[in-house]
Amino acid sequence: MIADEATLRRLMALSQKGDRGAYRVLLSEASGWLERYFRHKVPSAQTGDLVQEVLLALHHKRATFDPSRPFLPWLAAIARYRWVDHLRKVYRRQEEALEDYDAASDSGEEAMMARISLGRLLQQIPAKQALAIELVKIEGHSIRDAATHCGQSEAAIKVNIHRGLKRLSGLIEKAD
Amino acid sequence: MNRPNQDLIDRMTNELTPVRRMKAGTGLALALAALLVTIVLIALLDGLRHGLTSGDVSPYFLITNGLLLVLGVACSISAVSMASPRVGSHHDGPKWAMAMLAMVPLAAFVSLVTRGSLAPATSDPYGPYCFLSAMAASALVGLSLFGWLKRGAPVSSARAGLHAGVAAGAFGAFAYGLACPFDGIVHLGLFHVTPVLLSGLLGRFAVPPLLRW
Repeated sequence: MIADEATLRRLMALSQKGDRGAYRVLLSEASGWLERYFRHKVPSAQTGDLVQEVLLALHHKRATFDPSRPFLPWLAAIARYRWVDHLRKVYRRQEEALEDYDAASDSGEEAMMARISLGRLLQQIPAKQALAIELVKIEGHSIRDAATHCGQSEAAIKVNIHRGLKRLSGLIEKAD
Repeated sequence: MNRPNQDLIDRMTNELTPVRRMKAGTGLALALAALLVTIVLIALLDGLRHGLTSGDVSPYFLITNGLLLVLGVACSISAVSMASPRVGSHHDGPKWAMAMLAMVPLAAFVSLVTRGSLAPATSDPYGPYCFLSAMAASALVGLSLFGWLKRGAPVSSARAGLHAGVAAGAFGAFAYGLACPFDGIVHLGLFHVTPVLLSGLLGRFAVPPLLRW
């Protein structure tokens, strides 16, 4: 079943009142929605962790939902916040273990899907920053490979990733 | 659905308890209550300035404090609403309110230039006291907004911190402005508006790391 917006909003309002049945259905629906949402934004091996992080955030911050407003934009804002946070963490890990970094194990097709679907937020940051993030975070290239591919220095790639992530973080709430 | 997700859902469902919803009106009421308490404390400690009830104040006083109040309200509403995640929000109101308030120090600067002397700014013996008092007066509002944001889930923590800081600074400067007897444009533009700038910078750079969730 794929619940509609009005149903999700009602389920969330009931969940805020402590209705466990409604909450179970809501979480199952949200889990499915998030899996579809992230499928196009990160390599599939990382989707499960991200979905769980967002579900936990939904649980801890459920008091912030306003039943007079739609549910999915509220969930999407949390998902974007966790996604940008996830990109930062992945980048930090890559920085720490650059030498023995293993490229993402997804097939080329999956990486391509992720790259194409990242569009909405990435389209709103400068092209060089978006490209650096796509190459290093989505496709799993090393900084060195990305630098060669873009014809930029490694330092420039790092700066573009840092600035791009900062801009993405500022767009979480602004972008429709 | 995969097994780990189902296990997590089962656990969260079993842990579910009713929650009291965070209403924006409550957050704003808390900020305004903090402003009111601040004004009462200032009235008790310093006393309110003359002319407030009789209207014997300069237009500069009215304009500056009016702009501070509007900016404080605009930024408080914005900061409070940012505690609840949403997409498609631009929060443009505070930007315009900040730009309007910036006219006051600009007017002070123009006034200094046309007079050809910095003396009104550098030899104002009460300026630093007003600045520090306005900063101190911003503490309660700042704490109430920070507490609200901390309880919520701001997805734009940098902007939320900035708006909370500016709101606190504007309300603090407004509250202390009710006690300050000096209402020249240079005094108001420099020593009553700069606390808003400093408070905003504090909010922008010191608060976001504390708001992570």
